[in-house]
Amino acid sequence: MKLTRRGFFKITGAAGAAATVSRAYAAKASPAPEDPFGCLVDLTRCIGCRKCEDACNRVNDLPPPARSFEDPTVLNRPRRPDEKAFTVVNRYFPGQRDASNQLVPTFVKIQCMHCQEPACASACIVGALTKKENGAVHYDVTRCIGCRYCMVACPFEIPAYEYHDPITPRVMKCTFCFERISEAGGLPGCAEICPTEAITFGRRKTLLAVAKKRIQDNPARYLQEIYGEKEVGGTSWMYITAVPFEKLGFIDVPDKPTPRLAETIQHSLFAYLWSPIVLYGLLGGIMWASRGNRPHPEDEEGDRR
Amino acid sequence: MTKPFSSGRALRFLIALMTVLVAAPAFAAGNPEADELALSPEWKAPNQEEARQRAQEVVPLIEAVVDECQLCRQQRLRDVGLGVKDIVHSYFLLESPIIKKREDHYGPVRFMHTKHAAAIQDCAICHHARPADPSAKETVRCSACHQEAFRTDHPERLGLKAAYHQQCIQCHRDKAKGPVDCAGCHPKNVPDHKELVKLGANPEPWDVTEECLRCHAAAGEDMLATAHWLWKGHSAYTLNQQKKVIHGKGTTAINNF
Repeated sequence: MKLTRRGFFKITGAAGAAATVSRAYAAKASPAPEDPFGCLVDLTRCIGCRKCEDACNRVNDLPPPARSFEDPTVLNRPRRPDEKAFTVVNRYFPGQRDASNQLVPTFVKIQCMHCQEPACASACIVGALTKKENGAVHYDVTRCIGCRYCMVACPFEIPAYEYHDPITPRVMKCTFCFERISEAGGLPGCAEICPTEAITFGRRKTLLAVAKKRIQDNPARYLQEIYGEKEVGGTSWMYITAVPFEKLGFIDVPDKPTPRLAETIQHSLFAYLWSPIVLYGLLGGIMWASRGNRPHPEDEEGDRR
Repeated sequence: MTKPFSSGRALRFLIALMTVLVAAPAFAAGNPEADELALSPEWKAPNQEEARQRAQEVVPLIEAVVDECQLCRQQRLRDVGLGVKDIVHSYFLLESPIIKKREDHYGPVRFMHTKHAAAIQDCAICHHARPADPSAKETVRCSACHQEAFRTDHPERLGLKAAYHQQCIQCHRDKAKGPVDCAGCHPKNVPDHKELVKLGANPEPWDVTEECLRCHAAAGEDMLATAHWLWKGHSAYTLNQQKKVIHGKGTTAINNF
């Protein structure tokens, strides 16, 4: 029997129905935790003392820095977090001057943003990176195979890799002090030591309310913007500022979670394995429909060219 | 041939004169105790111990404060008749157990209450809110309202450490007076260099420099890259010259001091 016009429509109709089902499957609830911890960084309060870097180095047993945490000349060049430092403070001169015509610096602390829907965890093929209920994007070194997809996926270019360690390399990034904040009353090392409370630790919802109140109570001091409220679907670390974020090295990221597009495609394609089933069904159908057209090879008299 | 007036001789005379003037009161006093106080590195303020004990107290947290603007607050203090003259404790040591419970990296910070009050003449700058309880005192210590950081019941209230740092640094910046760096208030434990420095008798200046560099090599390396040494280079605080590498008294500037 040939593949008739009617038979073809039957098959494509079934495929369409399956695709509709899978689209409903993809529109499931967001994987972001309901009430995670977070940190609010108030850039108007940071004095650039780098005590957070110091504390981070201490609580995570990181190697000693090339230049002392007391050395202010480190701030002369912009830096990035790397495998030896989970957080760094950079200094910017956005152009305001004080009464004596000196440029006023703005300091920006950088670390993992602990996204609500992290791209790194989505890209990780072995589940070494997971978003925990308390807000931390947690790295499990025992699962990691070192593929470094997380480094490619992260929109903030945060995860670093121990390239110098050929035997047991790890992906290195801020842990949100996962073990410390899992205990009652525990604080991240940086938030605990910050002398001016430029870092406020708390529940993300509370922090959003605090940030909005601060901006509302002091409209001359702050811009009406919270970086991390909606960026990449929301992050656990959020920033408020007096200076436009684009002048302080913050990248402009969309409000949609980074993994949304890729996950939608993949989840809708492979929901209930419908697409392979349909594909092989289609191929099988074609085989079945086109049987008997060709003579059996044993019946052929070998006419080799 | 001798000069009628040599600057070296004049300088020596001046130093001698000043030494006499400065030392005279001490000699005049002839009080061995006063001498001991003036010369002993272990000198302590007479109310040091009392201040230390007061720093150990933790008062109950004030939950609610009167919400008023700074002008209203100043007016209220004037109405009550509170001023600099009413200060009870003129000296504080800031080392609260509230902060030490979390971390303990620094020694106590000395705070001269009366000195600050006399200079500012406005209690409302620091005593910026009064307890809502009408029977409470008009002015209370910082740690009555500011205690643990990140309290869930008062999410917007600063912790004690942040209250100190924000208040002190901001005011010192605004008034361009007082320390704004860490070591200005938190004195570092500098080891006694009497034991460390090994210099022969009558050292030449370069011997002294060499002796310093024996431990402070990095400081020497840094110095060689500065505009001070090169007579040209970056000068972040020179107006319109921030980015010019060639600027300096060796090249384009006049040495005006």
